[in-house]
Amino acid sequence: MAKKLTTAEILAQARKQAAGESAGAESPPPATESADAGTQPEAASAAPAAAPKKPAAGGAKPTSTADILAAARAQKAAGAAAPAGDKPAAKATPKSTADILAAARGKAAAAVPAKGEGKGAKPAATGAAVASGEPLPSVEEMMKAVRGGSGGPAAEPAVKPKPTLPPLPKKPVVAAKKAPEAVSRRGVVMSLIGTPFAAAWTFLTATTATATLAMARFMFPNVLVEPPTRFKVGPPGDYPLGTVSNKWKSSRGIWIVHTDQYDGGNLIYALASVCTHLGCTPNWLDGEQKFKCPCHGSGFYITGINFEGPAPRPLERVGLRVAPDGMLEVDKSVKFQEEMGQWADPTSYVEIA
Amino acid sequence: MVNPHPDLTTSVIHGLGWAYLALFLMNLVWTIRVYRGHTEFRSPELFGGMMIPSATPWAVYSIILFLLSLVHLITNAAPDTFMLVMPEFAKNFIDGFADPTIFFALSVGLMAAVIYFRETLVKPTVAWTILNMMLLFTTFSLTDYDFRQIVGKPDNVPIVSMLYIVAFFTWLYFSRAVENDKRKAEGRPLFEQEKNEKILVWPDLVYTELICMIALTVILVVWGVVLQAPLEEPASAAKTPNPSKAPWYFLGLQEMLVYYDPWLAGVVFPSVILGGLMAIPYIDFNKLGNGYYTFKDRAFSVSVFMFGFLPLWVAMIILGTFLRGPNWNFFGIYEFWDVHKLEVLNNVNLSEYFWIKFLNRGLPTAADIPNFISANVPALVTPVVILLREWLGILLTLLYLGVAPMVMVYIPKFKEFFFRMGFVRYMVFTNLLLMMLALPLKMVLRWSISLKYIVAIPEWFFNI
Repeated sequence: MAKKLTTAEILAQARKQAAGESAGAESPPPATESADAGTQPEAASAAPAAAPKKPAAGGAKPTSTADILAAARAQKAAGAAAPAGDKPAAKATPKSTADILAAARGKAAAAVPAKGEGKGAKPAATGAAVASGEPLPSVEEMMKAVRGGSGGPAAEPAVKPKPTLPPLPKKPVVAAKKAPEAVSRRGVVMSLIGTPFAAAWTFLTATTATATLAMARFMFPNVLVEPPTRFKVGPPGDYPLGTVSNKWKSSRGIWIVHTDQYDGGNLIYALASVCTHLGCTPNWLDGEQKFKCPCHGSGFYITGINFEGPAPRPLERVGLRVAPDGMLEVDKSVKFQEEMGQWADPTSYVEIA
Repeated sequence: MVNPHPDLTTSVIHGLGWAYLALFLMNLVWTIRVYRGHTEFRSPELFGGMMIPSATPWAVYSIILFLLSLVHLITNAAPDTFMLVMPEFAKNFIDGFADPTIFFALSVGLMAAVIYFRETLVKPTVAWTILNMMLLFTTFSLTDYDFRQIVGKPDNVPIVSMLYIVAFFTWLYFSRAVENDKRKAEGRPLFEQEKNEKILVWPDLVYTELICMIALTVILVVWGVVLQAPLEEPASAAKTPNPSKAPWYFLGLQEMLVYYDPWLAGVVFPSVILGGLMAIPYIDFNKLGNGYYTFKDRAFSVSVFMFGFLPLWVAMIILGTFLRGPNWNFFGIYEFWDVHKLEVLNNVNLSEYFWIKFLNRGLPTAADIPNFISANVPALVTPVVILLREWLGILLTLLYLGVAPMVMVYIPKFKEFFFRMGFVRYMVFTNLLLMMLALPLKMVLRWSISLKYIVAIPEWFFNI
């Protein structure tokens, strides 16, 4: 394994080959070679620095990018150094960037002398210029910059011995030791409010729970100011046939209806004064003999059956019975819906004989 | 005996006088503007066919307005002998349109006419004439007591002004769009490119905003001082105001509630409206019309939007404000709001039409379904009865939303949409469009054949 070639060297070599190719019999100027080696101190120093790792990495399986690169370089050096300046090497299929570049350069160099006369020495001069590092071709500069930037650090990990992990702290053992101990009261408190995070969650939970409990308590008031759901509305004789009584509408939200238009029976029943559309309070229009809702124009017959407007179902009946004292008693806690067939329930009306 | 609802009082007459004076001043300025333009037109042969300056008719009109104003301001005739009132036959004629179907048809027709005659309507002279006609109509209508009651209600003042603002902005849009369409047809640069309106934020924009801010504050303060808030009696669960109206901007939704089930009109459709508006950018594939006014480049989109906004929203607000009275009955704008107005409506569900009117039998009940269902799976009885009863409505609804879009592909325009959008986008688009059309459709069905619900399942609170 020869010394690792730098990119500059590779380029110079390629150029040399190209010059040889283009200049024909002209031999490659040796000055180039020596100048190359001499004027590239950093490249030269970089190469030895990287060299020691090679034996280590070369034998074993390549483990890092740097290793792979080094191996590639070594191969390149072995292939290119031996037949230095030989055409066959250059003619081989390009394997690396350097090869491709060299081929390109060769073509370019070949084109230049073909154009002008007396310029046979130009490629050599260019090579010298390259070697002395004056107006360098930009590609080389870039390559150099790349090498300078990434070559060093990239090579380092490979040089470093594999880091052995420091011994882990024996935490699990400690935890296991503590576990048998009874959880102290202090430990529980600390786990709840020990850190700001725990404290925040604890207090949030406590506040929410308290608010929920308070809300639940709110549902069971100490004093209910609503009127009772069962109340007496007077004797049946107060409600003549064919009338709708508005007497209890504003205080209790019901109409007492006495009619014989529902299924022919002579009935008294109580209708809730809530429109089945959106819950407005309809009005009983005596002239038109209908309940009419002012919000969206729903209309109901005296029977409570809906017939106009958007209301989807009849008004609801509430419970009605004759109390033992002969008074009508309304029970607003129960509802009877016609569309569910509940109006047949005898507790939803009082039949007048 | 004193009429409790006089059409005219001395103060109304004087107020009208000031209104005519304002109209006169407006038209005076306009006349001067036209006069400075030095244009002429040829008079009809009847008047000799000579060239007349364009300002002449405006001058004559202004003088008439001035005389009207004078008559109103200096008259000392008793109000009930004052002659300049809206004649009864005109009132009755206009009240005859107070029918939801006619009103809706008129508003759609008006929108279509505006689109069709846009190039004429945006001419300044035409626009000014229309503005004058609108103002004159309102002013002259104020001689009617009932009209004054509706329009002058503090609640309704913003709606009246909104009418004029909507008209103005529609005109503004069309004037810019027509101009740009013309420029595009002639290959000239667009208005926005040629007359670049870019200004500096400071001072131009900030000053403009400052002035607007002050003007708006002044308007609000004056409004708050002059028009008293319409406070009512304390709320009572047992007494609903009659008529009970939503806030004015929701009157369109309230009108929708008359025709559709509460959850549909109050929950589903508003959500569809919002979701549909959000979906527009994803449905629209037309890249034209970005950053400039145009009609021709986006004729379909603009027409659909205008249909949704003008007849379905603004016109519904007008309808709810001015035409809906006690018990949510329909009233003409000059009609007295009679609480006992009798409107015979008897709404019938589609299932009742089918089973009772068409098949001449009762609605299906549990007795009509096969025995093995009621014997084996009693829980299925109600669903099967409902399905049997409402199958026609359910089928029609599915056809409307599922199959109609496929049939619409045969319309050339929709065929293009289908290929440009792909199946899913096309279905979303057509469904939104069909749901938009569902409101007028249901209105027409309600008012023509008293159709209540197409699918009526009161057992499950589901009605369409």
